[in-house]
Amino acid sequence: MATYAEMQEIFDDIRRDFRYEHELNGCLNCGICTATCPSAQFYDYSPREIVQLLWTENVEQVYDAMQEKIWACAQCMTCAARCPFKNSPGGLVSIMREVAIKHGMQSAKDVLRPFGRVMLKLITTGNQLSPDMIQPDHFPDWGPNIQKVEGDLKILRKAIPMKTLQTTDTAWEVSLKTSVEMYTIWEDTGVLQQLEMMDENLFDVIEDFIEEKREEYEEWVEEQEEAKADAD
Amino acid sequence: MNPTPPASGGIAGHGAFFQPTDLAPEDARKATAWVEKVIDKRSVELGGRMDDVREHMFELEREGEIIVHRITDAHKPVVARTLFGWEKKIPTAQLWHHKSCGQCGNIPGYPTSLLWTMNELGMKPGLDYLDETDQTSCTAWNYHGSGIGNVESLAAVFLRNFHQAYVSGHKLGHPPGHFYPLVHCGTSFGNYKEVRKYLVENATLRERVKKILGKLGRLVDGKLVLPEEVVHYSDWVHVMRNDIVTKLQKIDVSKLRVTVHMACHYYKMVHEDAIYDPEVLGGNRAATGTGVAQALGAQIIDYSTWYDCCGFGFRHIISEREFTRSFTIDRKIKVAREEANADVMLGIDTGCITTMDKNQWIGKAHEQEYSLPIMADIQFAALACGADPLKIVQLQWHASPCEELVEKMGISWSDAKKKFEAYLQEVKAGRIEYLYDPKLADSMSRAA
Repeated sequence: MATYAEMQEIFDDIRRDFRYEHELNGCLNCGICTATCPSAQFYDYSPREIVQLLWTENVEQVYDAMQEKIWACAQCMTCAARCPFKNSPGGLVSIMREVAIKHGMQSAKDVLRPFGRVMLKLITTGNQLSPDMIQPDHFPDWGPNIQKVEGDLKILRKAIPMKTLQTTDTAWEVSLKTSVEMYTIWEDTGVLQQLEMMDENLFDVIEDFIEEKREEYEEWVEEQEEAKADAD
Repeated sequence: MNPTPPASGGIAGHGAFFQPTDLAPEDARKATAWVEKVIDKRSVELGGRMDDVREHMFELEREGEIIVHRITDAHKPVVARTLFGWEKKIPTAQLWHHKSCGQCGNIPGYPTSLLWTMNELGMKPGLDYLDETDQTSCTAWNYHGSGIGNVESLAAVFLRNFHQAYVSGHKLGHPPGHFYPLVHCGTSFGNYKEVRKYLVENATLRERVKKILGKLGRLVDGKLVLPEEVVHYSDWVHVMRNDIVTKLQKIDVSKLRVTVHMACHYYKMVHEDAIYDPEVLGGNRAATGTGVAQALGAQIIDYSTWYDCCGFGFRHIISEREFTRSFTIDRKIKVAREEANADVMLGIDTGCITTMDKNQWIGKAHEQEYSLPIMADIQFAALACGADPLKIVQLQWHASPCEELVEKMGISWSDAKKKFEAYLQEVKAGRIEYLYDPKLADSMSRAA
């Protein structure tokens, strides 16, 4: 359990985000957001409650809501489209999730565990999922008819008439240069630090991968320069 | 009006204070005419009070701080109207396909149907559109799902991808800005619009990402490049719908009952930018997706849960699947079948189509045996225009009973399947047919 001072710091971090002023403009407890919220139908979650807790600066209850409730939000933004005050409860939840990660909260670590494969794919290739991640054995609840033509995945992908889509381990072919540019973005915006805080093992794997790809890219650039020099 | 409310009575459940005026019909019309004149449903709430971010963006451009990637006459723009009646220019030529990871990974018939339609309309690959490897996902699915990422990373990814679109024509001898980004994914579309707004409004954010883009060599004359409009592929389909019908349609779809699921991130994020059309569902609902089905002559069936999300939930589809499948069955599939008696549900986005397509079979576990073909608006349009259901529309990747819809359109699924299986033998032998010259895709000869 966090001390009051720690909870206050978390609350202050939420309020410091420049989007906070965009997303929270007042609240009369009308409940339109909760009435239209898909998650409110299935979870102990209410966007109205989130807005009220923030609006009334209820530091302890905000901290409590970050343990589980904020992860119920489906991020559809129906609440934001409906709110007469132009609040965005979904947007506030985004800020709270980021702050939960910044403070290494256990709730965030629990939520991120099943995301390991997506994170690995995203950070290393700039794609979020790939055909080989969406195979029937990963999703038994999708049923036996997940595909209408049987066959080897590689051949089925080659039968897609777009060159960029004939891949199995990325959704489309991403050039190495592009991925290397992405690594700089992850580093310079603090995303890799977020990952390290959440899952050190995953971070180590990703760090090694990035190093390897950068070396590959540098070698490729050198090869190109040499080929150009030879041609000249 | 009588200042003292009567003790009882009232009209329409509004309480005793409200009493009939007993005016003659003509007088009643005069008395309310000013309301009808002044209050238009597109301007009543926000139109006059909401800032148009584009004006501030142009101001930054005038001040020399940014470059705006303009939609010029060369992009053959068509003007559409958005929620408050504002104008939005939709480029119809010289497009840079900004692909969707969920579509390409899971619903490949989505982009192939789009490119096939463009080819059929006479658009030339390499001149009128470009599909290349130098692009990444917007990364917003992950952000909305896990909270990993931040505004700065989302902004840097947005600007990197859009800068590449701006300069992508160079290798083909085109000037900067030749290709204009056409965003395939609904979440990318919503996310990019939101991030563009933050960039325009927040100088600190601009300053921070400018350093990163500079390091990547992704500035033009030392400036960030922002798009005049963020354009979704369904915007393009919508403004091209009459061309698609008059130039390409081959199959009568007038007997088909069509429901549409509108992607939340298309019209609930930066909602002032979504296209509405008085001729599509009375202008009360966002028009894309529905507009093309209506133009093709299908019966558009409205339903009570139109505004509901699909249940995708970003993290829910991975780690809270009970929620995803329950919501999509209860609030979408069941309603479309029982209430609308639909033949198909069309979508305009990645996650929605995946969610509704894949989560039908599991309903059997709770005796909720509803099944409904699910596909994108452009896949439906391509079928109506004679595209091969497997080779082009790639319906073999769908779990929902799309073959039923194909048969209702008068196309033999079994014949198409046999033909496709024969084609797979050609593919194995290396004889692959493409929608464009594969060399156009190469931004660089090495893939990650």
